[in-house]
Amino acid sequence: MDKVQLTIPKGLGESESPYQKYWEEMPCYLSVHDRDFRIIDGNRKFREDFGERIGQYCYRVYKGRDEVCPNCPVEATFLDGQTHPSEQLLTTKDGREVPVMVHTTAIRDDSEEIVAVMEMHTDIAEVKQLQSELQRSQERLAQLFEEVPCFITVQGPDRVIQHANRRFRETFGDPIGQSCFKMYKHRDEQCLVCPMQQTFDDGVTREHEEILFTEDGEKLNGLCTTAPLRNADGEVEAVIEMCIDITQIRELQSQLASIGLLVGSISHGIKGLLTGLDGGIYMVNSGFAKDKPERVEKGWEMVQRNVERIRSMVLDILYYAKDRELVVEDVDLQAIVAEFRAGLEKKASDADTEVRIDLAEDTGIFAGDPQAIRAMLLNLLENSLDACRMDKDKGDHWIRLDVRREEPWMIIEVEDNGLGMDRETREKIFSLFFSSKGIKGTGLGLFISNKIVDKHGGTIEVESEPGRGTRFLVRVPLDAKPSIQPEEEAIE
Amino acid sequence: MAGSERRVLIVDDDPDIVDYLSFFLEDEGFAVKTAGRCSTARGMLDEFQPEVILIDALLPGKSGLDLLVSLRRDPKWSEVPMVVVTGNDTLLEDDCQSYLGAHEGVRGPDGVLGKPVDRETLLAVLDTLLDGTGSG
Repeated sequence: MDKVQLTIPKGLGESESPYQKYWEEMPCYLSVHDRDFRIIDGNRKFREDFGERIGQYCYRVYKGRDEVCPNCPVEATFLDGQTHPSEQLLTTKDGREVPVMVHTTAIRDDSEEIVAVMEMHTDIAEVKQLQSELQRSQERLAQLFEEVPCFITVQGPDRVIQHANRRFRETFGDPIGQSCFKMYKHRDEQCLVCPMQQTFDDGVTREHEEILFTEDGEKLNGLCTTAPLRNADGEVEAVIEMCIDITQIRELQSQLASIGLLVGSISHGIKGLLTGLDGGIYMVNSGFAKDKPERVEKGWEMVQRNVERIRSMVLDILYYAKDRELVVEDVDLQAIVAEFRAGLEKKASDADTEVRIDLAEDTGIFAGDPQAIRAMLLNLLENSLDACRMDKDKGDHWIRLDVRREEPWMIIEVEDNGLGMDRETREKIFSLFFSSKGIKGTGLGLFISNKIVDKHGGTIEVESEPGRGTRFLVRVPLDAKPSIQPEEEAIE
Repeated sequence: MAGSERRVLIVDDDPDIVDYLSFFLEDEGFAVKTAGRCSTARGMLDEFQPEVILIDALLPGKSGLDLLVSLRRDPKWSEVPMVVVTGNDTLLEDDCQSYLGAHEGVRGPDGVLGKPVDRETLLAVLDTLLDGTGSG
């Protein structure tokens, strides 16, 4: 204290410097501190809000503390002579909290030694309020972004996802650091046509429809819109993509389209069967006329076969048209197989095909829809038989049915050494109205089989190679729940 | 007698239709050979020397129209009359031509028959085509 040479005049008079008046009237708190953190002077606003506290420690006056504040800007300025701006929260004499911006300045004597430090506290309550309002509105925006019922991502120029909303994360997983093509399509490289890239290049908003794959592998139809996010210079800095799940709309559309296709497919199928019937009748008639019993027999088999095909086609159509729910009862595969075994063997022997049935003895019973399971089995077996009948390259044909119980599944294998399928056919066989059998197929059988297995909560896999044959592996859970997809609407 | 029979090759993957048409055409005095696939059919050409080929539009592997195009491009068989048999209403003559339009310079089928095949129509088509070739 003794060292302090500086004298600041007290009791402002007419003869005082005008600077004294400026000091007094500055619209902020001004205080001067010595090396011991004592306040040695303060302006009027300081005195008004903190009282006559000259000679007291600044940390006590400003903050009600008993010791020096950590990171004290006054101390720092004493040490290096530099200004140290910081934000502080002061408490006035009547307990009001004032957020302030603090600037410090060193005061030197004639020998340039720092003898005191002046602090200027600017009230930033208004700025703080604006900041908190800004923060609230940012939070509201963030909440909106999070809760919008569609998938939103923001990608940088490297195609890496920077932000994603909650719905996206829940459906596709944690995307941070991942690319959009990886998250949305499980691809390892950028899509051939990338609307995101196009928006980056020209800044134009684009709308496109995409097939998306969720984290669990479920397929979704997405209607996606991209829009540029520009920086202050107007350059595209990032692109935001918003995808709306339109799977249900597309499913409805495809069901409507299916009805049209169904009509076409049925008439196509019936014409094929009519040719077969026509042929059978011709052979029966001409066989009688020419007294050729083998021809009569062959013709009659043709008639029977085609009548049987019409019958199973009608059953398929009914099944499809009704889209019936499962009626869960006890399923006894031994009984079901015993019921159709003779008929199947007759059909197979007509096609010079051997039937190999391997039913494990302990298959027992399981919970499922017996009628649906029977239809599914027959569809698969007849499919295999057709594949043998159409294969002219091999002499010995066989179809094989293998049933065994492997908790918690019933395993059903249907295999043949018939035509076999190439990859393209194999990938399409469960699609509605896809048939590789030319005129004889409606494209309903395997579609329905797949649907039946799916409704039981099971899976169906197919292995096939052209010329070698085909193997279907069906897994049906032993305890299917009724109506697994209750929301699915029936087509009336 | 064998020398006077007109030779028809049927290419169809449906055994019922193959049986039916071959019985019928044999009854009508034709010599008939059948093939279930395009490759099998090609292998029979040299020995059998068909005068007409009936091709099912939908065949496993390559389609019947592909077979037609490849035969038309082969100078050895390009002039043999070919009839496409189809169960698909949309694949009638116009569509056939537009399919072939994609294969420049290839002449389309000499006839298209819808399924179920009408026997009288089939005979009429074969008669016309075979008279045109003037063989036998």
